[in-house]
Amino acid sequence: MRVRPCGEVVFMHGKQGLLAIFMYVDDLFAVLRKFKEQATRIETVYSPLRLREIDEILGKKPSIVRFITLLGGILGGTGMVALAVYAHLSFRLITSGKPVFPRVPWVIVCFEGVILLAVIFSVCAWVLKGRLPRARLAPAYELRFSEDRFGVLVSCTDAEREKVRAILETSGAEEVRDVSW
Amino acid sequence: MSGAMSKEEGLRFSEVNQEILRTLQAPGRSYWALLSLLFLFVLFAGGVWGYQLRYGLGVAGYHPAGMWGVYLVNFVFWIGIAHSGTLISAILYLFRARWRTGISRAAEAMTIFAVMIAGLFPAFIHLGRPWVFYWIIPYPNQRFLWPDFQSPLMFDVLAVTTYFTVSLLFWYTGLVPDLAAARDRAQGLRRKLYGLFAMGWSGTDRQWHHYGASYLLLAGLATPLVISVHSVVSWDFALAIIPGYHSTIFPPYFVAGAIHSGLAMVLTLLIPLRKIFHFEKIITLDTLEKVAKTTILMGLIVGYAYAVECFIAWYSGNIFEKQSFLFRAFGYYAPLFWIMCFCNAIAPLAFFWRKVRRNIYCLFVIAILINIGMYVERFVIICGSMSHDFVPHAWGIYWPNWVDITITIGSFCLFLFLFMLFAKFLPSVAMAEVKEDAGPPLRRGGVYAR
Repeated sequence: MRVRPCGEVVFMHGKQGLLAIFMYVDDLFAVLRKFKEQATRIETVYSPLRLREIDEILGKKPSIVRFITLLGGILGGTGMVALAVYAHLSFRLITSGKPVFPRVPWVIVCFEGVILLAVIFSVCAWVLKGRLPRARLAPAYELRFSEDRFGVLVSCTDAEREKVRAILETSGAEEVRDVSW
Repeated sequence: MSGAMSKEEGLRFSEVNQEILRTLQAPGRSYWALLSLLFLFVLFAGGVWGYQLRYGLGVAGYHPAGMWGVYLVNFVFWIGIAHSGTLISAILYLFRARWRTGISRAAEAMTIFAVMIAGLFPAFIHLGRPWVFYWIIPYPNQRFLWPDFQSPLMFDVLAVTTYFTVSLLFWYTGLVPDLAAARDRAQGLRRKLYGLFAMGWSGTDRQWHHYGASYLLLAGLATPLVISVHSVVSWDFALAIIPGYHSTIFPPYFVAGAIHSGLAMVLTLLIPLRKIFHFEKIITLDTLEKVAKTTILMGLIVGYAYAVECFIAWYSGNIFEKQSFLFRAFGYYAPLFWIMCFCNAIAPLAFFWRKVRRNIYCLFVIAILINIGMYVERFVIICGSMSHDFVPHAWGIYWPNWVDITITIGSFCLFLFLFMLFAKFLPSVAMAEVKEDAGPPLRRGGVYAR
């Protein structure tokens, strides 16, 4: 366990690596490409904004959030129609002149159900897939990452450390430091 | 020092954070004084509602034929106001309209507060026995009764609750990265609170990847929803047989009117916000001009809808439709009808002139006129049609009294109260989106390198 300058307590868990902080995004992309070519393990890339290039360089697959959202939409639509059907069939006060299964109004009921559950599933999906909520910030996290700096966390062994550090320093990193997590 | 700088406004990334987060500093006495005044009036309006609960809706001037009065006008008005938030945040996001970034967060907040206030009217204030409002919710009960899923009132409940939930989640999703930025600069209790709602966001590639996919889907899902909600609200009227209500033009007419009033409210709120918080570099005159241009389009659509109503009253040959329209234009409520035409269809035409669009005072005055016009429009449609239907025996005039007026002013105070809390305690501009719009800082070339 160690205490960072800001007062935050950091627990050591066994993994270790290097964190590099960048000011310019083209430097960041260049170093990411280099590490991908060398098959160096990139643990995390920090950014104050969404950069699609990072996903491309890291070779990320399309997010599963899309399918979870679709699942929510299907469940919401069918669930709302099922509720409407059940409510109509269970209604004890029989009134004349109304169809038993009025399909047209149920389009609206179904539509609202689709949207509602799709959105709820989508939000739950990005939160959980983003490994949130978290009680503590990661040891490598820097307050500047929410402002104007970009970061790369690379895991490496003691033998690789100096080589990785050299790559990061020559690629325009403002700061490179050891991190354990 | 070098760093990221916005293309148009000349703001670096760090300056974006500073500019926006400095608005979260402790407010002054005038802020608290105004907030307290608004809160006191909300309490007073709550007391008046208690009086109405004790003695019934009759004390608010409700009597046959005017059984749908200002409370439903307020409902439709606030739902309309709520529309522009989703228009700006979702529809313009899908169209990649970058000018929206400076105003989207405030417009979304406006949406949520407006929907909350709108929901109060049909669910509580306009109900004769609001303590049984939950009867509209479908649940197994001893009476073996279920709500009627064919009723437009049930559609309303579903649409408004869905719209509120979706708007809230969409707004919150957009807020998370900015709450993390606020957390990183705050101290003490504020840091804990921002940290709690930021959920531990740290801007990792994994988080942005799933977040980005979800945000796009949320925008895509919110877009048809925003169109559907005011269509559903219009069916409250269009599915009735009252002349003046029973019209197939109502859904698009209501949607266009909603966007028209919402954009006007965006201007009404953002012009003072921009001035008070010195957001001139973020909410630029170009942004406000683009809102004004959109207002021209909406004004023309609303004006066209007015003309079509007039044409159909004549062309349909329906005597009830004709007398209903003539009553609107030349009867008891005629001054309101002409105010509505002027404010909603004529006044926005001034935005055809560039000088008017780029003059902050003209923008504000015309936005206020449109707000007034859109409120009056709902009054003319709801109260005017109800007071003059088929049978002369059932005709009657409704006019709001002190109870309606107090509760209506109370709703405006509640809206401003919530908006002021938002502006001072949450990032009122989407920082991550402003940065995205500015483009990332590049070492090699471009306007970013200093």
